[in-house]
Amino acid sequence: MMKKTSRRTFLGITASAATAAFIHPVGFSQENASPVDMCVARWQGETSAYDDAVVASKLTEQAIQALGGMQRFVSKGDTVWIKPNIAWNRTPEQAANTNPDVVATLVRLCLEAGAKIVKVGDNTCADAKQTYPMSGIEAAVRKAGGKMVYVDNNRFRKMSINGEVLKEWEVYPEIIESDLVINVPVVKHHSLSTATLCMKNYMGVIGGSRGQWHQDFAGYLCDMTAFMKPRLCVLDAVRILTANGPTGGNVADVKRMNTIAAGTDIVALDAFGAELLGHKAEDLPSVRRGEARGLGRADYRKLAFREVSVS
Amino acid sequence: MSFLRPRSWTQWVRRLCQAVFLLLFVWTLVVTHLAQVDNVPPLLRFYFQLDPLVLTATWLSSHAVPAALLVAFITVGVTLLLGRVFCGWFCPFGTLHNIFSWLRSRRETPTPPETRSPWQRAKYIVLIALLVMALFGVHWIGVLDPFSFLYRSGVTAVLPAIQYGVEDASTAIYVADPKIGPFRATSVSEPVYRFLRDQVFRAPGQAFYGSIGVGILFVAVLVLNWVKPRFWCRYICPLGALLGVLAQRPVMRLRNEESLCNNCGKCSTACPAAAQPDKRGDWLPTECFGCWNCVAACNFKAISFEFRSPFPRPAMGRLDLSRRTAVQAALAGVTGIFLMRLTPQAQEKNYNPELIRPPGALRERQFLQKCIQCGLCMRVCPTTALHPCGFESGLEGLWTPRLIPKIGYCEYNCNLCGQVCPTGAIQSLALEEKQQVKLGLATIDTTRCLPYAYGRSCIICEEHCPVPQKAIYLVEREVRLPNGKTTVLKQPQVDPDRCIGCGMCENVCVFSDRAAIRITSANESRNSDNQPILPMAPESSESTPYGS
Repeated sequence: MMKKTSRRTFLGITASAATAAFIHPVGFSQENASPVDMCVARWQGETSAYDDAVVASKLTEQAIQALGGMQRFVSKGDTVWIKPNIAWNRTPEQAANTNPDVVATLVRLCLEAGAKIVKVGDNTCADAKQTYPMSGIEAAVRKAGGKMVYVDNNRFRKMSINGEVLKEWEVYPEIIESDLVINVPVVKHHSLSTATLCMKNYMGVIGGSRGQWHQDFAGYLCDMTAFMKPRLCVLDAVRILTANGPTGGNVADVKRMNTIAAGTDIVALDAFGAELLGHKAEDLPSVRRGEARGLGRADYRKLAFREVSVS
Repeated sequence: MSFLRPRSWTQWVRRLCQAVFLLLFVWTLVVTHLAQVDNVPPLLRFYFQLDPLVLTATWLSSHAVPAALLVAFITVGVTLLLGRVFCGWFCPFGTLHNIFSWLRSRRETPTPPETRSPWQRAKYIVLIALLVMALFGVHWIGVLDPFSFLYRSGVTAVLPAIQYGVEDASTAIYVADPKIGPFRATSVSEPVYRFLRDQVFRAPGQAFYGSIGVGILFVAVLVLNWVKPRFWCRYICPLGALLGVLAQRPVMRLRNEESLCNNCGKCSTACPAAAQPDKRGDWLPTECFGCWNCVAACNFKAISFEFRSPFPRPAMGRLDLSRRTAVQAALAGVTGIFLMRLTPQAQEKNYNPELIRPPGALRERQFLQKCIQCGLCMRVCPTTALHPCGFESGLEGLWTPRLIPKIGYCEYNCNLCGQVCPTGAIQSLALEEKQQVKLGLATIDTTRCLPYAYGRSCIICEEHCPVPQKAIYLVEREVRLPNGKTTVLKQPQVDPDRCIGCGMCENVCVFSDRAAIRITSANESRNSDNQPILPMAPESSESTPYGS
C-alpha cells in the first residue's frame, strides 16, 4: 500500500532524517535512519519538568520522523483530514479524547510538509459544539494553523463499502475526498471490543445508526478499515484510559504512558495498543479478524519497526 | 406645560425605539445558542425581569422571587408616570402586533373612529382570574404573559420552522447540486446554511414535541390583528391590563384643545388602542399605549400630551370594570384552580413516569408555582432534551419543560437550564452539584434489549453512560440462539445508586422508535416520595435477599 518513493521524496526524507539526527543525536545514534513502517516513541525519565505540550509534541515529532517524516505521506498542496477521537465532553486529563497537543503537532507537521489545508474533525458522540472546545483540540488546532470542521449530520452520503458484512453506509464525503486521512485515536478501554484503538476510530467517519455495528463489531470495523485504506495512523498513548471507557471521566482510571506509536499498519498499531492496556493482541477480535483478512499483521515486531526514546 | 406639540417625528422616534427593543428581543432569542456553561450571554432574562406581571404572580404563588425580578419596579414607575408607554414603545410583542396591524391597514379603506368596546374589559378579567389563581398557588401566568408567550413561540415554533426550512432546502440543493454554467447553487446555499447553523441554530434539526399548540396559538394571535388592530394588546394581554390598572391617573396625559378641534375623529381612527382621544374628558388612560398616533394624525395640532399632577383626578375615562365583574373574574379564577388540579397528580402521590424535569427543578408543586413557561431552558439546552409539556403534568403544567431522552439527553457537563431560568423554578446549581442530581432512573426493557431478547451483542448504553464509574454494568450470561446453539453475551444492568437518569442511554439505544432502555421519573432527587429504591447497604452484597 506504500507509495513508490520518488527521487524527490527520497531526497526529502534523507535530508530531514539527517537534520533530525543532527538535532536529536540520542534518538538516532544506535540505529540507522532509514524510514520504518512503525515506530514507538517513549519518553525517558521524568516528565514533570516538562510542559505536557512539549512531551506530547516531541513524542509525535519523533515517531513521525522515524517513519520518514510527514513528507512521506503529504505532498505539496494536499488536503489532509486528521481524525482524532473528540467524541466526549471531557477534558484532556480525563483521556477520553485524543491529546490536543498530539493533534496540533500533526497539524503543524502536515503544514510544514506542504499541505494546503489541514482539517480536523470527528463525528462525535456528545454534542460537538461542546466536545471540540472541552477536549482542548479546537484551541490547539486553531493555534497550529489547522481548521476545525464540524461534521454535519445533513451532509453524509451513502457510499458503497462492499465489505463482507458492511455493504453500504453513510460516510462523510469531505473526509473521503481528502488526499490523506490521518487516524489519531487515544488508547482506551472498551467493554465490548476490549479496547478502542485505530480501527474503531473510523466510526467517527460515518453517520447513521452507528450503534448497530456492535452486533458484529469486528466484522464492521474490518470492512470499514478496508474501505478507508489507512496510510498513516498515530496511536496516542500519552495518557490512556484503563477502565470505564470509552467515556471515562475519572482521572483515577487514567494512566500516563508518555508513548506515541505511529505507523502504516493499522492492525499492528491496534495490537500494540492492546498490549499497552495489558491484553494480548489476539484478545482483540478486530485484530484477529483484521490480520486474517490481510489488513495488516498483529506481530508488529516483524515489521520494519523501531523504538525511540525521547527525552 | 404643553410643550409636546404635534410632530410626526415623534412617530419615527417611537418606531425606532420599538425596533430597537424588538431587535434586542430577537437578539436574546438568537444569541442563546452561544450559551456555554461558563459563558452565558448577558440580558437573556432582561424582558422577564422587566415584567411586573411575572414578579407579582410569582410572588403570589411562591412567596419568593429572585432579586433580579425586582427590576420590574422600573416598569411600574414608568407606568405610574407616563401610562402604558411600555405597550406602545417597548413591548416587542406589541411591536409585532403593530407591524401586523399595519399590514392589515394597508389592505383596507380607513376605518371609522372607534369608541371603547366592552370587550376591552376581557383583559382585566384575565388578569384578575390569573392573579387569583396565583394567590391560591396555581401559577398559570406564563401561558398568557406576553414575554413568555413570545419567547416560547419563538423558541419552540418560529426558530424550528426557520431551521427546518433552511436545513431541508439547503440539503436538497446540496444533494441535487444544480449548476448554471460554471455557477453552482451550492456556492451560495452552503455558506448561508453554515452561517445560520453556526450562528443561529442551537442544535441540528432542533424541533420540539408539544410545540404545535404553541405555534398555532402564535399564528392565531397575529392573525387576530386583522379583526382589530393590536387585538391581543386591547383584549387579552394580562400585562397590559396590569399596566392599565397602574395607569389610571398618569402624570403624562392627553390634552385635546377644544378651540382647535373640528371633531373630525382622525385621532381616534389612528388610535390602535380604542382609547378615545377624540372624546374630551373621556380619554381612556388605562387603554392608551402612549403611541402618539393621535398627535400626529391631528391636522389642527389640537392634541398634545402634557404633564399634570395626578391629584385631584382630572376628567378622564375610567377603568371599565365593575365590582360585580371583578368578583365574577375572581370566581372564574377559583374555577380555574380546580380545573388545573383536576388530575390525580395534584395529590402529589401519583407520578407520571414520563414527566422528567430538568436538573435542579424544584419539587413538582413548587416547580409549577414558579415556572413561567418561557422556554429559555428549552432554547439553551444543547441537546434539545427539554420540550414543552402537553398534559403530562395536568393542565397546570401546560408548556412547562420536560426532558424527552429519546430526542435529547441531559449533558453531564452542563447546567445551563438552571443558569438561565428567570424565576428559579430550575435552581442554578454548580456543575458538581448538578452532576449528583437524579432526574429519574433507567429501566431496561428485557423484551427488547438485544442481548436479552434477540441474542445479539450490544453495549451501546453502557458505552455512552457518562457517569464516571458507569451506572450501567454488564453481566455475562449464556443465551440460547435461534439455531439452538448457545453463546455468552454481555447484558446491561442498571445500578440505581449511580444512575442519574440523564437519558443518554435511552437516546443512543439502537432502537429508534422505543428504546430498550428508558428513563422514568422514579428516584428523582426532587421528590422524596418518588424514590422507591433504597441505597444498597454495604453488607447486602453477601446477605440473602431476606436479610440475616
